[in-house]
Amino acid sequence: MSAARYDAIVIGGGHNGLVAAAYLARAGKKTVVLERRHVLGGAAVTEEIFPGFKFSVFSYVVSLLRPEIIRDLDLPRHGLQILPLESTVTPMDNGDYLAAWGDADESRFELERHSPHDAEAMVEFGRLMHHMAMAVKPILGMLPPDPASLSPSDLKGLLKLGGHFRSLGAERFHALHKLMTMSSADYLDEWFEFDTLKATKSASGIIGTFLGPRSPGSAYVLLHHYMGEIDGAFRAWGFQRGGTGAISNAIASAARALGAEIRTEAAVERVTVSGGRATGVALANGDELSAPIVVSSLDPRRTFLDLVDPKALPADLVTDVRRYKFRGSSGKVNLALSGLPDFTCMPGVGPHLRGAVSISPSVEYLERAYDDAKYGEFSRHPYMDIVIPSMIDPGMAPPGKHVMSIFVQYAPFQINGGWDDAKRDAFGNAVIDTVSRYAPNLKSLILHKQVITPADIERITGLSEGNIFAGELALQQLFFLRPSAQWAKYATPIDGYWQCGSGTHPGGGIMGAPGRLAAQQILKAAR
Amino acid sequence: MPSRFDAVVIGAGANGLTAAATLAKHGQQVLLVDGANALTPRSRALEFAPGFRCAPLMVDAGWAPPAVLRELGINAPSAVVPRYSVSVAQPGMTLALANDSAAAADAIRSHSTHDGDEWAVFVTRLRAMSGFLESLYQLPAPDIDTTKLGEIMPLVGAGRKFRALGRAGMMEMLRVLPMPARDYLEDEFQSEVVRAAVGAGAVRDMRQGPRSGGTMFNLLHYLTGAPGGSVRARAWWQDGPDAFTRAAEGVTRARGVTIRTGHAAVRVLVRDHAVSGVVLDDADEIFASTVVSTVDPAHTLLHLVDPVWLDPQFIRAVRNIRFRGCTAFVQYAVDKLPDLPGLDGVVTLTGDLTSLERAYDAAKYGRMSERPHVELTATTLRWPSHAPQGKHVVVARVQYVPYEAGISEDALAGAVTSAIAGVVPGFPSTVLHHAVITPEQLERNYGLAEGAVTHGELALDQVLFMRPVPGFARHAMPIRGLYLGGAGAHPGPGVLGMAGLLAAKAVLR
Repeated sequence: MSAARYDAIVIGGGHNGLVAAAYLARAGKKTVVLERRHVLGGAAVTEEIFPGFKFSVFSYVVSLLRPEIIRDLDLPRHGLQILPLESTVTPMDNGDYLAAWGDADESRFELERHSPHDAEAMVEFGRLMHHMAMAVKPILGMLPPDPASLSPSDLKGLLKLGGHFRSLGAERFHALHKLMTMSSADYLDEWFEFDTLKATKSASGIIGTFLGPRSPGSAYVLLHHYMGEIDGAFRAWGFQRGGTGAISNAIASAARALGAEIRTEAAVERVTVSGGRATGVALANGDELSAPIVVSSLDPRRTFLDLVDPKALPADLVTDVRRYKFRGSSGKVNLALSGLPDFTCMPGVGPHLRGAVSISPSVEYLERAYDDAKYGEFSRHPYMDIVIPSMIDPGMAPPGKHVMSIFVQYAPFQINGGWDDAKRDAFGNAVIDTVSRYAPNLKSLILHKQVITPADIERITGLSEGNIFAGELALQQLFFLRPSAQWAKYATPIDGYWQCGSGTHPGGGIMGAPGRLAAQQILKAAR
Repeated sequence: MPSRFDAVVIGAGANGLTAAATLAKHGQQVLLVDGANALTPRSRALEFAPGFRCAPLMVDAGWAPPAVLRELGINAPSAVVPRYSVSVAQPGMTLALANDSAAAADAIRSHSTHDGDEWAVFVTRLRAMSGFLESLYQLPAPDIDTTKLGEIMPLVGAGRKFRALGRAGMMEMLRVLPMPARDYLEDEFQSEVVRAAVGAGAVRDMRQGPRSGGTMFNLLHYLTGAPGGSVRARAWWQDGPDAFTRAAEGVTRARGVTIRTGHAAVRVLVRDHAVSGVVLDDADEIFASTVVSTVDPAHTLLHLVDPVWLDPQFIRAVRNIRFRGCTAFVQYAVDKLPDLPGLDGVVTLTGDLTSLERAYDAAKYGRMSERPHVELTATTLRWPSHAPQGKHVVVARVQYVPYEAGISEDALAGAVTSAIAGVVPGFPSTVLHHAVITPEQLERNYGLAEGAVTHGELALDQVLFMRPVPGFARHAMPIRGLYLGGAGAHPGPGVLGMAGLLAAKAVLR
């Protein structure tokens, strides 16, 4: 059988792979997407783990999906529908709570109850963070220039970048520098005094990283999460109706409409290379597909060390990829519930159940959770971000019943003794025990539980070491260094072989930007 | 003595002396004041026990940059390069890393062949990166607002120096600066003891552990001026820890600077948003339109100046400077030296990065480490006259001792002595006397805010154009005529006289 011929093959049916495929198909390339699993989406999948209960198994909220992608691919027509997640409630250890509501005035009154100073400071803080997010946003859509290069296009890129920073003005540039280098706790200490507020805010700085709130570099992740954008409103996080898998399905539907072919249960074994050029892929079932363009949406380790022979690559690149840090640090617990949890700090059913509940009572609580992980244990009392999607999207669970998604940190991939069933159980129990301290009826409601460790994330989604961003969002792994100094512009040393995953600029989250930027580069090179 | 000067320089350390001498060279009438009874109190070896002297803060004398030496018209003090830049001592094991990289590689091979083979390349790379900092540090801090051609030209020079690192070197520099030392060292080395030897320098005087981002920058900062092959200790001066400041003092006096010691400046006078003079603690008023303060930024801007003259946002920025002293010292008078190699350089008693990280953990919660990180140097191996014949002085540098923990002298001495005894069991019986310097004492006796020997932590958001506060890294403060020229200003601690020189140049501009 002769190999099926395409113009472009995309390896991996995660959201970035699908976005890249849609753009390639839109430009008239005969494109095929190859997904190893039976479902599309990678880490953005919805699965019915327990009859009648649907879960966004891994990634569960969305905020960063690029508006230009939504527009270009007409995603709402293909089913994209984001339902806002309006509030965050943090139970405090003294039985009180801190809430942030969708309504700005209400949030201000609530914060004033705890600290008039912080309520005052929050106004200016919000304004600055808004400006910072605006300042960084263009970078998300920018091809990273190479600061060591003297080529005209790189110099132009650097000048553009320099001009961009200059246009910020000194004050915002300095604020941005601080955000890039400081710890979220130190950064927030400059603004606020109320510990639970600082803890809840720094929590967004540690999500997905192996950093504590006192680790320099965590303030940047805070911004990364601040950049959320739904219908133009900053800071809004939301749910996709039908779970995050429905986002993947919407992009897939758009890609198909543009002519792309999408295959599931089509695991790629390796990229075929001849004379330094990619020629196609070999599937695990023995089939071969050929194309002059092969795009990997997998993380850098898989892209460079697994799919191709590293010996065919420059030693510098191989070294960079080997030392590129993954270090997954988070897990998930998904629960099918017979009813709603009753939080001691806010009893009964209320609007708080339609938002997030953050288990982040103090900065020290989070930092101690990190200390456990530093030395190779899961946190005995972890940071958790809890949402009940069925409250907003009743279709996720049978009538009267609910699904609860608990994002948990820290659960280090490299755990002492390795992850096994017993350790997974212990981890799940620590999570449920800790939540039960705040919602004592939880255990009596559990119909089914799914505990996901970083090892499970790696096994199921293929993300190395279970890192949800396909590589840490650390300063030395961003922009023109993501994933490697000379190979941050989606190309690889193998002609025709490209990268488009979250392990490239601008990184993780359901953003789609790497897929789009990569497709643009590929099409530019093909012209 | 006239009570009117062109400029008053506050603080007579290396920076104050250099600032005063530079201004005097350009014809200014300069008064140099210091609250201590003698000049350069930090660099002088003081008697801490009968017959035993020590300058614990000058165990590492720092780097005297060529730009400063040129300005003062003096030669670099005659220096002795210690044989070992850093050694690790553990119960039953020592690893001494020679400045000669071939010798160091041989020593390392007994722990890891791989690491030994990598060593020479590693130290060359570190040297190139700290060399770039050396050239950057002799220039005013670059900033986004730089528009004057005169300010841009030197930066073009720095840019050329940056390009001289070569493509791979440039990328490596950008990659390494924000990194945690642990990540970098784990990538480079397999042996935990080699990582710990280098990593100790990365957390020096910082309230951060080796897993914290930016600690690589700290390592490179303190390697400026170090001999090739060194990963830690710089050369020491034959003529004593105060060799540089004595020479600078000579120049200052020769240039006609008026010097008053024993009287601290208690207020900087401001009229119509411009400096009009200073008041000394004897109530004497000195009139001057320029004041260069080399004491720390918090003391200068929050205490010496009436805050009504400063914008609230600026004051907030100054209050936000993180000092967070966490280094303490114990000076030991001993009748016998511990049997450790490399005691004229730095001997660290922490054998792995995890222990170093754990020592830091307590400081996060405001407590002293249960097992502190201790580094030893026998200063009498350099300057035998600092102890009676046959006896010695051993200085222990200790982290982490948070300023706010309020640790008692006895508790500190006890913890440090037992940490040393863990490696050198006979040590306690050799101790004749000891004297402790806690962060509180550093604040009280040396005027260091929160006992921070750095005048402000060398974190990435507090260096270069962010030092002392963003937007004011060119040494001129928002009150006309007020300049900051101490270690709290660019380029920071351990770069002798450079901040003072840059401040004086800003005055003269």
